[in-house]
Amino acid sequence: MTEEDAIFDASLKKKKKKKKAYDIDAALAESDNLESGLQVDIDMEKKDDDDDGNVDIDLDFTKKKKKKKKPFNMEELEEAALDDNFDLELDFSKTKKKKKKKKDLDELMAEVDEKQDDKENVDDNAVQWLGSDRDYTYDELLNRVFEIMRDKNPDMVAGKKQKFVMRPPQVVRIGTKKTSFANFTEICKTLHRQPKHLLDFLLAELGTSGSVDGNSQLIIKGRFQQKQIENVLRRYIKEYVTCHTCRSPDTILQKDTRLFFLQCETCGSRCSVASIKSGFQAVTSKRAAIRAKTA
Amino acid sequence: MSIQNLNTFDPFADASKGADDDVQDGLVHIRIQQRNGRKTLTTVQGLSSDYDLKKIVRACKKEFACNGTVIEHPEYGEVLQLQGDQRENICQWLTKSGLAKPDQLKVHGF
Ligand SMILES: [Zn+2]
Repeated sequence: MTEEDAIFDASLKKKKKKKKAYDIDAALAESDNLESGLQVDIDMEKKDDDDDGNVDIDLDFTKKKKKKKKPFNMEELEEAALDDNFDLELDFSKTKKKKKKKKDLDELMAEVDEKQDDKENVDDNAVQWLGSDRDYTYDELLNRVFEIMRDKNPDMVAGKKQKFVMRPPQVVRIGTKKTSFANFTEICKTLHRQPKHLLDFLLAELGTSGSVDGNSQLIIKGRFQQKQIENVLRRYIKEYVTCHTCRSPDTILQKDTRLFFLQCETCGSRCSVASIKSGFQAVTSKRAAIRAKTA
Repeated sequence: MSIQNLNTFDPFADASKGADDDVQDGLVHIRIQQRNGRKTLTTVQGLSSDYDLKKIVRACKKEFACNGTVIEHPEYGEVLQLQGDQRENICQWLTKSGLAKPDQLKVHGF
C-alpha cells in the first residue's frame, strides 16, 4: 500500500467515525466534501509548524490539532513512514491509529456493513478491476483519479499551495455588555466581501444584534472573546470565501435571484451558498421592557 | 413464479417518509444566545413535528440537569429551548437517541 492510499483511506474513515461518535468540532466544521479537500488537507498539515497566530484559511485546523494530540505517541511515530516533514508523519500516525481502532470496533460489534467492507477493500484492489470483467466501483475510480493526479502533479503533494494569511480579529470588550470588533472593515476588505454580508452572518451566528459605528468598528451586543469571533470567521470563510471545489480564496460572491453564488476565479466553478438566516431567536431581554415598548 | 416487471411499484410511496423512518429529514439548527452575564440559552429549531417535543424536553432536562421549555413559533414550529450552553449535550443526545443523524445537525454560534 502506498502512502497516498493511507491518507486517502483516512479521509474516508473520518466521515464514518463522525457518524458514530459525535463531537461538536466535527459539527462546527461541517462534513464537507472530504474527497475534494483531501490534497489540501495534506498541505495544511504541513504548514502547521509555521502557525504564527494569524487566522489562516485552513478551517480544519483546530479539528486536526485536537485529534492529533490524542493518538500521538513515539511508537507510532517510528512506525510511520519516514519523511523529512514532521507534521506529515504525525498525520500518518493518526491515520494508523484510526485504522486500528476501526478494526477493533468492527470485530467487537461484528457488524456486517457492506458499504464499509467495500471501503476497506478499496485500498487493496485499487486497480483490481482491470483484469476482471466486473464493474469498477465509484471509490475505485476516485482512488484512481487521485493517483493519476498525484503522479502528474508532484507539486501538489509537495504542498506548494498558496497560503492565505489574514490578520486576526481585534476583539475588545466595551463595558460589560458590548464587544468591539475593531478591524471588522479591514477584514471585510481582505476577504473581498461586503461588510453587510459578513455583518449579517456574524450577527445571525452569534444570535445577537450590533452595528458598525463611525470608526468603522463593529459593536456587538454581548460578550465575546477573540477566539469565539475567530471561530465564526473561519466558518464564514469556509462557506462564503473559499471555493467549495478547489478551496481557492480567489472567489467572487454574486447575488442572483435572491440566492448567493460563489464564483471561483481559479477553477471556474460556481455554486450556490447557504443563505444567512438567523432563525428562531429566543426572548432574552426583559419581557416587561418589550411589553412596554410595544404597548 | 412472479414476473418482476408486472408488479406495480409506486416510486413515490416512500417520498413522504425519508429513507429511514426513525430519523427526520431537514436540518436541525442548534443555536446559542447570550443572556445577561455569563448566562446562555440553547435553542433547537427544526426537529420534526412527528416527535413529541414535550417528551424530548423532559428527557433533556433530566439528562443535562438544566431547565428547558418548548416554544411554539408561527414560522419555525416547535422550538426547544434549554438553559445554558447545551449544544454539545444536545448533539450527542440527538444522535445517541437516533432522532437525528450527525450530518443533519447544524450548530451555530461561537
Ligand atoms: Zn475553485
